[in-house]
Amino acid sequence: MEPITINRKESRLRVAPEWADVCFTCGTCAGGCPVTGVDGMDPRKAVRMAALGLDQELIDSRFPWVCTLCGRCEYACPQGVEILKMMRRARGLRERDKVPGPIHKGVVMDLQRGNNLGIPRTDFLFLLADLAKEMEEEGFPGFYVPVDKKGANVFVTINSKEPFGEPDDMKFWWRIFYAAKEDWTTASTNWEGVNWGLFSGDDASMKTLVGRIVEHMERLECKTLLLPE
Amino acid sequence: MWFPEVFKKYKVVSVHQLLKEYIETGRIKLDQSIHEELTTVHDPCNYGRKSQKAFGQAFFEEPRWVTQQCCEHYVEMHPNRMNNFCCGAGGGAWAMPYSNERIYYGRVKAKQIMDTGAKMVIAPCHNCRDQIMKSLNKEFNLGIEVKYLWELVADSLVVEPWNEEEIERGHAMRDAQYERDDIVLDEEEEEEE
Repeated sequence: MEPITINRKESRLRVAPEWADVCFTCGTCAGGCPVTGVDGMDPRKAVRMAALGLDQELIDSRFPWVCTLCGRCEYACPQGVEILKMMRRARGLRERDKVPGPIHKGVVMDLQRGNNLGIPRTDFLFLLADLAKEMEEEGFPGFYVPVDKKGANVFVTINSKEPFGEPDDMKFWWRIFYAAKEDWTTASTNWEGVNWGLFSGDDASMKTLVGRIVEHMERLECKTLLLPE
Repeated sequence: MWFPEVFKKYKVVSVHQLLKEYIETGRIKLDQSIHEELTTVHDPCNYGRKSQKAFGQAFFEEPRWVTQQCCEHYVEMHPNRMNNFCCGAGGGAWAMPYSNERIYYGRVKAKQIMDTGAKMVIAPCHNCRDQIMKSLNKEFNLGIEVKYLWELVADSLVVEPWNEEEIERGHAMRDAQYERDDIVLDEEEEEEE
């Protein structure tokens, strides 16, 4: 077994330098976490690793990704240790091509093509038109999906999994808008409502993607933003 | 905060405020007799603990109120609100390759649901709904129905179709938009031929 070098001074995961002393190692966090024990880990051990400068070991481990960032540990911590922030930072320090699953690829896809799953503009617009036609036949005469409608009251983002795999689920909100006679709209591009930068620990991309929604609000002069996530 | 000016200029709402507003102001009408089964609400971490921490505002009472406008028979999970358990798929875990760990995580949520005896679970979050409906329901034989909060509302709606004038206006706006965006549906193409 390789010896491990402890470095209490230069941890990139310690939110504040006094961290090692702040945590009493009481284990409240570990006691309330549903994945305590997985890979022999728990939030308390993760905090210890950060406090002792075992950054890379934590960054390379699965634990920050098996953790769902639910924040229950942090809420219960009597010492106010920012466990969630530490876990997310550990995720952010993982090399991007080693981020597990599709979440980083989704961020890249979103930056390049306007949504996490790369649905092209034309496919999207035709899908909306087809579904709107179905809606009319299903007892909602006069319904259509307003796209890029200037001056609409509510701007709505869309979760790409719906147009991609569960298109009929978009009709739940549409039925409500129809009944409420809401003046609403969405965008023909950059309509993604799921910002995976939040989970991959990628603040820069996350900000770019949030900025796009702000642009829509400015461009379309909408009054209200609905984030249906 | 990245775009502080935006919050001054625009109203930013979650699903809860908008649904609540529609119901309270009478813009939509709901029928409680459609969902007779015992129903519970799952508190998503992002609308609860994390929203409380990030924005100083959590959405606990809103989803319960909206649900109870649709369902007469309601039961709470325990623990709930700030101490609620994550569904097990948060933080992107639904998409992560660690499915055994995700299901193991979800056993706690599954037990919470089972203990209520509820036949329907309402989730105000896409991710939680997928985990509870597509994974936990099968893995732990919960025998429950799972709906989005807005799906419950949509399914409870008393819909009055628009009048002639409103329908015409909708069609005119639709046609103008489709022309702008070059949208020609197949059937219409055939009619033109």
